[in-house]
Amino acid sequence: MAENIVTIRNLSKIYRQGEINVTALDNISLDIRAGEFLTLMGPSGSGKSTLLHIIAGIDRPTSGECHVQGIDVAKLNESQLADWRNQNVGFVFQTFNLIPVLTAYENVELPLLLTRLNSKQRRHQVNTALELVGLAERKTHLPRQLSGGQEQRVAIARALVTSPSLVVADEPTGNLDSQSAQDVLGILQTLSKSAGKTVIMVTHDPKAAAFGSRTIHLEKGELSN
Amino acid sequence: MTIGTFILKNAMRNKRRATLSILSVAVSLFLLVTLLVALRELTLPPEDIGAALRVVVRSKISIANLLPAKQRPIIERVPGVEAVSPFTWFGGTYKNEGGLTFGQFAMDASKFRTIFGDSKMPEEQFEAFQKDMRACIIGKLTAEKYHLKIGDRITLVGTIYPVTLEFNLAGIYSGTIDDRNMFFHHKYFDEAMGDMGQVGMWWLKVRSAEDMPQVITTINNTFANSSAEVRAETERAFQLSFTSMWGNIKLFVGAICTVVVFTLILVSASTMSMSIRERFRELAVLKALGFRRRELFAFILAESFALAMFGALIGVGGAYLLYTFGSVSKMTNGIFITLEVTPKIIGTAITVAAGLGIAASIMPSISVAKTSVVEGLKTLD
Ligand SMILES: Nc1ncnc2c1ncn2[C@@H]1O[C@H](COP(=O)(O)OP(=O)(O)OP(=O)(O)O)[C@@H](O)[C@H]1O
Ligand SMILES: [Mg+2]
Repeated sequence: MAENIVTIRNLSKIYRQGEINVTALDNISLDIRAGEFLTLMGPSGSGKSTLLHIIAGIDRPTSGECHVQGIDVAKLNESQLADWRNQNVGFVFQTFNLIPVLTAYENVELPLLLTRLNSKQRRHQVNTALELVGLAERKTHLPRQLSGGQEQRVAIARALVTSPSLVVADEPTGNLDSQSAQDVLGILQTLSKSAGKTVIMVTHDPKAAAFGSRTIHLEKGELSN
Repeated sequence: MTIGTFILKNAMRNKRRATLSILSVAVSLFLLVTLLVALRELTLPPEDIGAALRVVVRSKISIANLLPAKQRPIIERVPGVEAVSPFTWFGGTYKNEGGLTFGQFAMDASKFRTIFGDSKMPEEQFEAFQKDMRACIIGKLTAEKYHLKIGDRITLVGTIYPVTLEFNLAGIYSGTIDDRNMFFHHKYFDEAMGDMGQVGMWWLKVRSAEDMPQVITTINNTFANSSAEVRAETERAFQLSFTSMWGNIKLFVGAICTVVVFTLILVSASTMSMSIRERFRELAVLKALGFRRRELFAFILAESFALAMFGALIGVGGAYLLYTFGSVSKMTNGIFITLEVTPKIIGTAITVAAGLGIAASIMPSISVAKTSVVEGLKTLD
C-alpha cells in the first residue's frame, strides 16, 4: 500500500460573518494515498472547494491539521507557502484561468519563470507538458483562439509543467461539453495511473467521478460515507 | 518568455487604454515642462557681462514717473560713472498691431555702444545711426519678424505720448540678451514733444564692478529729499523688480498648470487602478501558481512605471525638441525669445513621471495584497 501524501486530522474551517458563524468544514479527518485519483462530491455549499483550497495551500484552516508530504502547510508563512505551491501543487480551475495575452506555450511556461531552469530546460518541460495533453500543435495560439476543451488541456499542461506531486482540480469539466470533458478526465486519470501523480478533483457529475479511483462525499462540512 | 515580455504584454493588453495613459502622462509632462521653462524665463535676470556694469536710475515713486533732464550733469559727475544716457520708453504701436511686440527706447545714440557693449553691429551702420537724427536701430529678432532691412521707414504711433514718429532704419544689432528692442535719438523725441525737459530713466555704465555699490548709494543720496527722488539699482535688480510685476500672473499660470498636471496624474493613477482591478482573478491565479506578493507588486510597479516613463519620453522629449529646435519667438508671438529646457527641468519632469508611476501602482498593490487567492479567484472577469 502506497504511503499517505495527505493526512488531515480534525480539520475545521469556520467563516465568521458578524454574529453568525458559517461552518464550512466540520472536524474532518482524511488520508489520501500517493497516486490516488480522489474525487470529492457533495451538494453545493458542502465545503468541497474549501477542503481543496486548504490541501492546496491557498487557504488556511481554523483548527486541525493538514499535512501534505509530511509538511504542516498551515505553519508555512506566505512566501514559503508560495514556493511550496510552485513546487508541489498543480492547479486546474473550472474557468481555465489562462492569461489571455499569453500564448498557450507562454501560459504553460509561466510557473517555470519562478524556477531556476534556463530557457532551454524550460522549453523542454513546456513541450513535454503540451505533448502530454495533445496540444503540441497549438503552442502559438492565444486562449481565445482555442476551444474550451483545448483551453482546459493547456491549463492542465500548466499544472503539470513544474512536475508537482499533487494536482488539484475544482470542477474542471464544469464548463465543458461531454467530449471535451471525457478528454480532460482521461488525461487526469492517466496522470494518476501512469505518472504516479496524486489527483484530487471536485465534481458534481457522477460520470466524472467514475474516472477516479475513490470518491468521498461531503455534506454540510462533514464526510458522509 | 521572460519576466520583461510578460510585463510588456500585460501593459499593452488593452492598447487603447495604454495609449490613453501614455498620452495623458505625455500631455501633463509637456505642460509641466512648458510651465517650468516659462517660469524660469520670466524670473531669469539678464546674464550678459554688460549687465553687471549697468545701473538703472528711475523715479522712486514708480517706473511710470518721469525724471527731470537736468539731473544728467549731476549723475555724470558721480565718481565711477563712465557714461550716462536718458532712457525713455516710447511705447508706440507699429503697423496698427494691437499689442506692443517690441520695446522702443529713446536714448543718447552716442552712448549706445558704451552702455550696451555686448551689442554687435557693423561700423558703417553705427555711424549712419549717429549722423541721422531720425535714424533708429533695431534688434535682429524684431527685424526678422517684420522682414525689415536697412533703409526701411518705420512709423510708430505713440500710445503714451501724443506724437507719431517716423524713422529710417540705419542698423540692425545682435548679441545682446534681448535682441528685440529698438533704439532712437532722444533728441528726436524731445523735438517732437516740444522739449518737455523730462526723461523716463537714466541708464548708466559704471567703470568697474567695485564702483557699483558706491555709485548707487551716491546717486540715491544725491537726489534724496529733492523734488524728484530716484532709485538707482543694478540692471539685474531692476529687471527682477520688473519681472516681479508678473508675480500675480506667474502665480495664476502656475496654479492653473499645477491643477491640470495634478488632474492628469489622478487620471493616469485611476486608469492604472482600473487595469489592475480587471485582472484581480489573474493575479490570484499567479499567486496560486507560486508568485509571491512582492513579485506581483514588482509587476504592477514595472507596468505603471513603464507606461509613465514612455509618456515622459514623449512629453518631455517633445517639449525639448519643440523649444530647442522650434522658433520660440514665433510660437509665443514674441513673448519669449528662448525657452531653454535645462537638464534640471528635464530632471524635475522625469522625477514627476517616476513619482506618478509609483503613485499609480500603490492603490492596486494594496488591493492585491489585501485579496487572498480564494477571494481573488471568486472575482468575475
Ligand atoms: N469567504 C466566505 N465567507 C463566508 N462564508 C463562506 C466563504 N467562503 C465559503 N463560505 C461558505 O462555506 C461553505 C462551503 O463553501 P464551498 O465553496 O467550499 O462550497 P462548495 O462545496 O465548493 O460549493 P459549490 O459546489 O457550490 O462550489 C458555504 O456554506 C459557503 O457559503
Ligand atoms: Mg466549489
